[in-house]
Amino acid sequence: MGEERQSPVKRRDIPVMITIGLVASIVGIAVGLLIDWFPVQGSKQADKIDELWYVLIVVSVPIFVIVCCIVGYSVFRFRQRPGEAGMDGPPIHGSTKLEVVWTAIPAIIIAALVLYAWGVLRDIERAPANAATTEMKVIVTGIQFAWSFEYPGLGPGGKPIQSAQLFVPKGRSVKFLVRSTDVLHDFWVPAWRMKVDAVPGITTGYRVTPTRLGTYPVVCAELCGLGHAFMRQTAHVLTPAVFAAWRAHGGRAAAAAAPAAAGAPTAAIDPQKLFAQGNGQSTACGACHTLAAAGTTGKIGPNLTNTLKPQTVAMIKASILKPQAIITKGYAGGIMPPNFGQTLSPAELDALANYLYKNSR
Amino acid sequence: MEAATIAHAGHDDHEHHGPPEANQSSRMDAQTLGMLLFIISELMLFGAFFTAYFFIRIVNHDVWPPGAKLPVDVAAVNTGILLSSSLTMHWALVSAQRGNRWGMKAGMVSTILLGATFLITQINEYVHLGVAPQDNASASVFYSLTGLHGAHVLIGLIMLLTVCIRVFRGHFSPEKHHGMEVPGIYWHFVDGMWILVFTTLYIL
Amino acid sequence: MTVKLRAPGLYRAFFYTLVGVAFSFGLSVTARLLYHFDPAIDSESILQISMLACPLFFLGGLGAFDYWFYWASGRPTRAEDHSSHGASKWQDYFRINTDHKVIGIQYIVTSFFFMFVGGLMAMLMRAELAAPGRQFVDSNTYNGLFSVHASLLIFLFIIPVFAGIANYVLPLMIGAPDMAFPRLNALSFWMLPLAGALMLGSFLAPGGSFASGWTAYAPLSVDAPIGQSFFTIGVQFAGASSIATALNFLVTIITMRAPGMSFFRMPLLVWANFSTSLLVVIATPFIAASQFMVLLDRALGFNFFDWNQGGNVLMYQHVFWFYSHPAVYIMMLPGFGIISEVLAVKARKPIFGYRMMAFSLLAIVLLGFTVWAHHMFVSGMQSWIRVPMMITTAIIAVPTGIKIFSWLATLWKGVLKMDTPMLFALGFVTMFTLGGISGVMLALVPLDIYVSDTYFIVAHIHYVLFGGSVFTIYAGIYFWFPKMTGRMYDERLGKIHFWTTFVFFNLTFAPMHVIGVQGMPRRVADYAQQFATWNLLISLASFGLGLSALVFLYNMVTSWRGGARAVSNPWRSLTLEWQVSSPPPVFNFDVIPTVVGGPYEYGVPGAVHGVMGGGAEVPRPGVAAVATTAGE
Ligand code: HEA
Ligand code: HEA
Ligand code: HEC
Ligand code: CUA
Ligand SMILES: [Cu+2]
Repeated sequence: MGEERQSPVKRRDIPVMITIGLVASIVGIAVGLLIDWFPVQGSKQADKIDELWYVLIVVSVPIFVIVCCIVGYSVFRFRQRPGEAGMDGPPIHGSTKLEVVWTAIPAIIIAALVLYAWGVLRDIERAPANAATTEMKVIVTGIQFAWSFEYPGLGPGGKPIQSAQLFVPKGRSVKFLVRSTDVLHDFWVPAWRMKVDAVPGITTGYRVTPTRLGTYPVVCAELCGLGHAFMRQTAHVLTPAVFAAWRAHGGRAAAAAAPAAAGAPTAAIDPQKLFAQGNGQSTACGACHTLAAAGTTGKIGPNLTNTLKPQTVAMIKASILKPQAIITKGYAGGIMPPNFGQTLSPAELDALANYLYKNSR
Repeated sequence: MEAATIAHAGHDDHEHHGPPEANQSSRMDAQTLGMLLFIISELMLFGAFFTAYFFIRIVNHDVWPPGAKLPVDVAAVNTGILLSSSLTMHWALVSAQRGNRWGMKAGMVSTILLGATFLITQINEYVHLGVAPQDNASASVFYSLTGLHGAHVLIGLIMLLTVCIRVFRGHFSPEKHHGMEVPGIYWHFVDGMWILVFTTLYIL
Repeated sequence: MTVKLRAPGLYRAFFYTLVGVAFSFGLSVTARLLYHFDPAIDSESILQISMLACPLFFLGGLGAFDYWFYWASGRPTRAEDHSSHGASKWQDYFRINTDHKVIGIQYIVTSFFFMFVGGLMAMLMRAELAAPGRQFVDSNTYNGLFSVHASLLIFLFIIPVFAGIANYVLPLMIGAPDMAFPRLNALSFWMLPLAGALMLGSFLAPGGSFASGWTAYAPLSVDAPIGQSFFTIGVQFAGASSIATALNFLVTIITMRAPGMSFFRMPLLVWANFSTSLLVVIATPFIAASQFMVLLDRALGFNFFDWNQGGNVLMYQHVFWFYSHPAVYIMMLPGFGIISEVLAVKARKPIFGYRMMAFSLLAIVLLGFTVWAHHMFVSGMQSWIRVPMMITTAIIAVPTGIKIFSWLATLWKGVLKMDTPMLFALGFVTMFTLGGISGVMLALVPLDIYVSDTYFIVAHIHYVLFGGSVFTIYAGIYFWFPKMTGRMYDERLGKIHFWTTFVFFNLTFAPMHVIGVQGMPRRVADYAQQFATWNLLISLASFGLGLSALVFLYNMVTSWRGGARAVSNPWRSLTLEWQVSSPPPVFNFDVIPTVVGGPYEYGVPGAVHGVMGGGAEVPRPGVAAVATTAGE
C-alpha cells in the first residue's frame, strides 16, 4: 500500500531500553517486597505460602515490565509523525527463531513455578511425625451463620468438648474436620492462611500448626446467604498450659473469659452497642433487625420495634437463645444464628433482653 | 467452484433484487453441517447429565437401581423398537433418493409410529416404576436422563411429523430431499443416544 | 388494532405474552387440581411456569417462528422476498430482521444497555462499600446487586457484544452476503433482551433478586427464594442464544467463505470467532444442564444436590465450571481477534507469526477444557485433582504469551497511528498481561488456598474482564464505528475516554490486589475497619470510572447522529469489510469478491487481499488491483 518508512531505531535505543527495564524491574520488585501484604503470620503453613507469594512477585514484575517497555518504546519511537500518514512498516511476517524463544522461556518459567508450588503444597499438607498421637482433631461445623467447634475425646471422661469459640494450643498440629449442615461455608483464619469449604454431606479439612499466641478472626469465605458477611468468630491460640486448663474445665472457664480476652467491655455492658455492633464475637443484631432505638435498619429479620410489643423479657430472651423454637410469621427459620447462647455472656443476654423489652413498648 | 444459495431447502428461483449468491466453500452443505454441530451440543447436554450420574452413582454410591428393579426386558424390547425406526427412516430416505413416493410415505409413517410406541412404552414404565424422582438422587438421575431422552424423541417426532406432512403433500424429489435428510440425521442421533442411556441406566 | 395484533411485531408479541400468562395460569391451576395440591392457585408456581412460557410466547408473537411454522405446515415454499432484510427506519430495529448488519447493531446496542445497567449496580455496590457498616443497602440487596451485576455483564454484555461485533463484520470479512441461517440469527438475538428482562425483573420478585452470585452454587441456589429462578431460567435463554449464534458462525465460516479465502487467509478475527464458537457449542450445554438440575431441584423436588438423599453438592461446581471456565475464554478470544485486526492496521505491519496466532487460539480452546477445577481448589473436592489442574492451568500462559509477544513484535518498527482504537489496543496488551499474571498466581494451589474468595480474585476478574475484554470491545467499537454508522467518531472525546478509563480503572482495581492479600473476603456488604481507607479510595475511583463511561456514551450518540461522514476505508485496511461503502450496501456485495492474498500484507508493495467486483480475472499477488480502493 503506502511507501515504507526508514527504521527509526537508534543505535543507543536498545541498551537504554534494557537499562530502563532493569531499573523498573528492580524498583517494582523492591516495592513488591517492601509492601506489607499479609496479615500476621500465625502458623507454620503461613510461612511457606508467603514465601511463594514473594517468589511470584520477583518472577512476575519483570514479565510485566518487559511488555510495558516494548509497548512504551514502540509508542515513543515508532509512532506516526506528521508527514508519515501514508507510510507502512516493513513487511516482516515472522521469525521462527523468536517464536521458539518466546514459547520456550515462558514454558520453562511455568514449569519451575509449578514444581515449586507443588513442593509447597506438599509441605503445607504434610502430616507431622506420629500424627496419630500428637495431632489434635477439631470438628468444625458451619451453619447459617455461625461456626461451632467440637473437640472429640478431650472432655472429662473422653466426652467431646463443645465450644462456640475456637481454642487451640500453640505449636501443636491441629487437624480440622470441616462440615456443614445447610449450605456451603468456608472455614478460614486469615492469619493461618489455609481455607477449605464446608460442604454438606462430606467432611473436608486441613491441618495447621499455630505458631503465634493471640486471637484471630475466623472468617466464612464462601457466600452462604444473607448473613455471610457477619459469619465471624474468634480463634484463640493459647499456650499449652492455658489450653490444658481450658480443657480441664471442660472448655467452660476459658469460654467465659473469652470475651475479656477479645477486649469486650467487662465492666459496663452497653446493650445498644451490643445490638448495633455485637461484642466482637457475636453477630450484630442490627445487621438483620430494625430497631428504632439502636438506629439499625436491617430487614432480614422482623422489625423488633414493633413485633416485640406483646412479649415479656423472658420470651425475648428465649427468642434470642433458641430462635428456631418459634418462627415469626412471614420469616424463614434457620436464618437467625442459634449460637447467641455461646457468643453472649449471660449478663449480656439479660442486658439485651431488657433493652429490647424497654425499647419496644 | 460450485455455487449455492444461502437460502433454505425449497428456495425457488425467481426474478428479484437480492443478495449475490454466496460462494460454497465446503463440500458439506450448511444444513447438514449445522445439524452435526447441533448434535455435538446435544451430546454435551447429555454428557452433563451423565456427569451427574457419575457423581451420584459412582462417587456417592447412591442406591442403584433407584427403588425396585428396573424392567430391563421391557426396555430391551423398547430399544429394539426405537432402533428399527432408524431403519425405516433410512428406508424412507432411500425411497426419496429413488423417487419412490410410496416408500417415502410408508417409511415416514412407520418411523413415526415406532417412535410413538417407544415414547408411550416409556411413559408407561414411569407410571409403573414405583419410585418417583423426589425419592432419592438415583431416581432423579434416572428420570432426568430418560426424560431428557424422551424429550428429544418428542422433538424428533415433531420434526418427522412435519416432514411427513410434506411428503404427503408431494414435496421432496430425488434431487431435492434435504428437508428430509437433516431431520433424519437427528433421528439417528436420538436412537444412538438411547443405546448409551439404556446401557448405563439399565444394564450396568 | 386487530391488524396490528395479527401481524408479526411488538404489538403481537406483547399480546402473545399476555396469552402466555393466561396459559401458565391455566397449566399451573389444572396441574395442581389434578394432583390435589392445596391451594390450587399458587402464585410461585404460576410465576415459575410463566418465566419459561412467556418468553416463548413473546418470540412467537414477534414472528421469530413464523417461517418455520409455515414450513412445517407443509405449504409450498414461497419465494424469499427479503422484506425482513435491512433497515431504513428505526422501527426496523424492533422487529425480526434477518440482516446480519441490523442484528449486529441490535446486539451491540442491547448489550451496551445492559453494560450501563450492570455498571450502575457496580456504582451502588461501591457506594455501599465506601465505608464499613451499612450505608445504603442491606446485605440481601447487596448480594443481589453483585449477583445481577456479574450476570448481566457476563451473559448480557461481554458474550453478546462480541457476538454482535462479529455478526456485523464477520460475513463482510469472509465475503459472504449474510450469515448461513439468517432467521436463526434473528431468533438468537431476540432471546437476549428476554434473558436480560428476566434477570432485571428478579428485583421485583418477592424475597428480592437472586443473590447467590453469578456462580449460583447449590445448595444455596436451591433453597433461595423465587428470585433465583429468574437467573436459572434467564441463563437458559442466554445460553440458547449463544449456542445458536455459535452454530451460525461455524457454519458461515466453513461453508460461505469467498473464493480464494483459504483458512490461512482468514483475518484473525474470523479465526478467533471460529475458536470461540467451538467453545460455545461444546461447553454451553453444561451450564444449561447445571441450571436445569437446579430448576428440577427447586421446582419439582428432585435430589441432585440433596445430600440427605444421595445427591452430590460438588457435582454442581464441576458441571458449572466445565462451562464457565471455557466461558472466560469465550469472553476473551473474540477480543484477541479484534486486537489483531486493530494492531495490524494501526501499526501498518503484517501480524507477526500469523500461523502461530491461529494455532495458539486453538491451543487455548483445547487447554480450556482441561482446567475447570482451578475454581475448586478450596471446594473440598478430591485433593488429587488439584495438581493436574494446576499444571494445565499454568500451561495456558504459554499460548497466551505467544499471542502477547507476537502483538509486541507486530508493533516493532511499525508506523503506529496513536488514535483511540490503538490506545485501547495497547491498554489491553498491558492490562491483560497483568490480569493474566495474577491468573497464573491463582493457578498455583498453595497461593490460591489463601487468596481464593478474597478481593484478589475480584482484582483478577476485573483485570482480565475489564482491562482485557472491555478494552478490546472499546477498541473494536471505535475501530468499526465508521463502517457501522457511516460516521466518524470524535477523536478528542475518544482520547479523553481512553485516558480517564485507563487511569480510573487502575485506581479502582489495582488496590483490590492489596486488600485481597490482606484478607478481605469477597461478596460481603460489610468489612473490618482495617480495609476502610483502601475501600474509600476504590469507591471514589470507581465513580470516576463510571463517569468515563458517560464520555463514551456521549461520543457514540452525538457522533452517530452528527459525526462527519466516513469514507469507505478510513484506516486504509486491506480486509474485505473496508472495501465496500460505509455503511455497507444491504446485500454487502454486488458480486462476491475473490481473495488473492493474506489479510495483513501491509508494507508489501502492491499487496491485495481481495478483488472486488467478481473474480473473472484473478490477479497474482504483486499486480496492483484497482478495485481495492473502491470508494476512496
Ligand atoms: C476474560 C476472562 C478471564 C481470563 C482470560 C482468565 C484467564 C486466566 N485465569 Fe481467570 N478468572 C476469571 C476470568 C478470566 N480468567 C473470572 C471471572 C474468575 C472468577 C470466577 C468467580 O469465582 O467468580 C477467574 C478465576 C480464576 C481462578 C480461580 C480463583 C479462585 O476462585 O480461587 C484461577 C485459578 O487458577 C484463574 C486462573 C487464570 C489463568 C491461569 C488464566 C490465563 O488464561 C492467563 C494467561 C495470560 C497470561 C499469563 C498473560 C500473558 C502471558 C505472558 C506475557 C507470557 C509470560 C507469562 C508467564 C510466564 C507467567 N482464574
Ligand atoms: C464483564 C465484566 C465486568 C465488568 C465490566 C465489571 C465492572 C465493574 N465491577 Fe464487577 N464483577 C464482575 C464482572 C465485571 N465487573 C464479576 C464476574 C464479579 C463477581 C461477582 C460474584 O462474586 O458473583 C464482579 C464483582 C465485583 C465486585 C465485588 C463484589 C463482591 O464480591 O462483594 C466489585 C466491587 O467493587 C465490582 C466492581 C465493579 C466496578 C466498579 C466496575 C466498573 O468498571 C463499572 C463501570 C461502568 C459503569 C459505572 C457504567 C456506566 C456509567 C453509568 C451507568 C452512569 C452512572 C455513573 C455514576 C453514578 C458515576 N465488581
Ligand atoms: C442473620 C440474621 C439475624 C441476626 C444476626 C439476628 N437475628 Fe434475630 N431474627 C432473625 C430472623 C430471620 C428472625 C425471624 C425468624 C425466627 O423467629 O427465627 C429473627 C427473630 C428474632 C426475634 C423474635 C422476634 C419475634 O417477632 O418474635 C428476636 C427477639 C430476635 N430475633 C432478636 C435478636 C437479637 C437480640 C439478635 C442479636 C444478638 C439477633 N436477633 C440477631 C435474624 C437474625
Ligand atoms: Cu457462611 Cu459465608
Ligand atoms: Cu477459570
